[in-house]
Amino acid sequence: MAKIIVVTSGKGGVGKTTSSAAIGAGLALRGHKTVVIDFDVGLRNLDMIMGCERRVVFDFINVIQGDAKLKQALIKDRRNDNLWVLPTSQTRDKDALTQEGVETVLNELREDFDYIICDSPAGIERGAHLAMYYADEAVVVTNPEVSSVRDSDRVLGLLNSKTSRAEKTGAEPVQAHLLLTRYDQGRVAKGEMMKVEDILEILSIPLLGIIPESTTVLKASNVGMPVVFDDKSQAAKAYEDAVSRLIGEQLEIQLQPVERPGFFQRLLGRTA
Amino acid sequence: MQSVSVQDRVSEAVAAVMPFQIRSRAFTAVVLRLSADPSNGFFDALDRQLKQAPHFFSNAPMVLDLGRSDTLTQVDDFADLVSELRLRNLSVFGVQNATPGQSAAALEAGLITLTGGREVPHSRDRRDLRAEQAPTKAAPAPAAPEPEPEPEASTLMVTQPVRSGQRLFADRGDMVVLAPVSSGAELIAHGNIHVYATMRGRALAGVNGNRNARIFCQDLDAELIAIAGLYQTSEDLSPEVRGRRIQAFLRDDALCVEALK
Repeated sequence: MAKIIVVTSGKGGVGKTTSSAAIGAGLALRGHKTVVIDFDVGLRNLDMIMGCERRVVFDFINVIQGDAKLKQALIKDRRNDNLWVLPTSQTRDKDALTQEGVETVLNELREDFDYIICDSPAGIERGAHLAMYYADEAVVVTNPEVSSVRDSDRVLGLLNSKTSRAEKTGAEPVQAHLLLTRYDQGRVAKGEMMKVEDILEILSIPLLGIIPESTTVLKASNVGMPVVFDDKSQAAKAYEDAVSRLIGEQLEIQLQPVERPGFFQRLLGRTA
Repeated sequence: MQSVSVQDRVSEAVAAVMPFQIRSRAFTAVVLRLSADPSNGFFDALDRQLKQAPHFFSNAPMVLDLGRSDTLTQVDDFADLVSELRLRNLSVFGVQNATPGQSAAALEAGLITLTGGREVPHSRDRRDLRAEQAPTKAAPAPAAPEPEPEPEASTLMVTQPVRSGQRLFADRGDMVVLAPVSSGAELIAHGNIHVYATMRGRALAGVNGNRNARIFCQDLDAELIAIAGLYQTSEDLSPEVRGRRIQAFLRDDALCVEALK
């Protein structure tokens, strides 16, 4: 029986899709059969970040509306056999998602997969609501700044009240984890960004990981490669650690040291 | 008894599209158990009892238990009894343990018949004791007044963090929050509000005009605090009380926020 994990945040641009791709790929690398579903109908991005945009024929909405079989819409990753993508439609809008449709698709996927990652759209409307509704666990992606923290707090409230687990009496509540992204130790030290302790104090949920702000994340997105496949970068390491914690391993969270440019780098200026 | 969960409140606030909402809710009522013929010294005994706790029974919803009173069968008897009780500010609305005849008469006198109903557990022992003593007294026992209101019944106890956008309402009394309240969350109570964690949201106490209501916070960082409609926003709060243990109360139409020692 698969575990459904929603990656959500409320606020846009904090790294939900990047994190969905990275977590999905990270789980696949550990041998878990994983599918990542794009719930952002109309603003399809996941397929690009996962590098399969040219292979999309049918999508999530086609499956919901019965125009295609689930098997026709699922795209297998070329780099890892355990990783699958269910892309969404770019031409439709969120109203094309129905609760029954989503439930049917998720139930079908549960049979075959170990993990189902739901990449939520920004906001708290229909798309985001349906992405979180059937979730067993949630990864709340937050940037170290006040507006993102407040939006995450709002989303945590919705996870506790507007999900299938919250509505069923006696069910365990959705287990929420905090994933801090775009964390810049240097700027935190300067007081320009919020400290981890302050964010944890406000949100009071366990910390899954801290992803440092890194140029490799953007580069990886642009070439359509989930960050974790770039095994040298700090961000990839941080995502891998987060995935370990997500599947229950106990790993200490380490803050990356401030990256100081080396002597030659300083000499040569900002070529890197 | 009232039990309100965080979820209910949120869904209520969000689903306010219908012009009405149907909710099932349990209330506590006082049961007046009549022992024999109410005419004989009954009201004197009742008045004595009421004098001991004048506020407790005032306007309390009340049910007549007819289990030991077979003589009360006439519509007029019910009507007289009801009007006498209402004179004493007792809001009788129903009967229980009635025979079919009593039920019909009571209905005509404007009382509904209730079935079921459970005793409030902790007061049972005391009441049974009293019931045993009652027959030895000369005067007809003035109906053991049932439970004193349980304090928890009217207090909304919140143990989970109150998130931004959530709105909690304690519509019968105090609210006690044992977890952080986020900015953008709202606590509303007819009585006092206690927050034993960081308070970053809004707290409105005494919303039905109770000027004696107070707000207590372990760590004040609120966006707004209000008592009986008088409010201060976080801009008005002086730096001395920010981040401190405080209480807020009304003094001469002014909202005072003081650090607790």
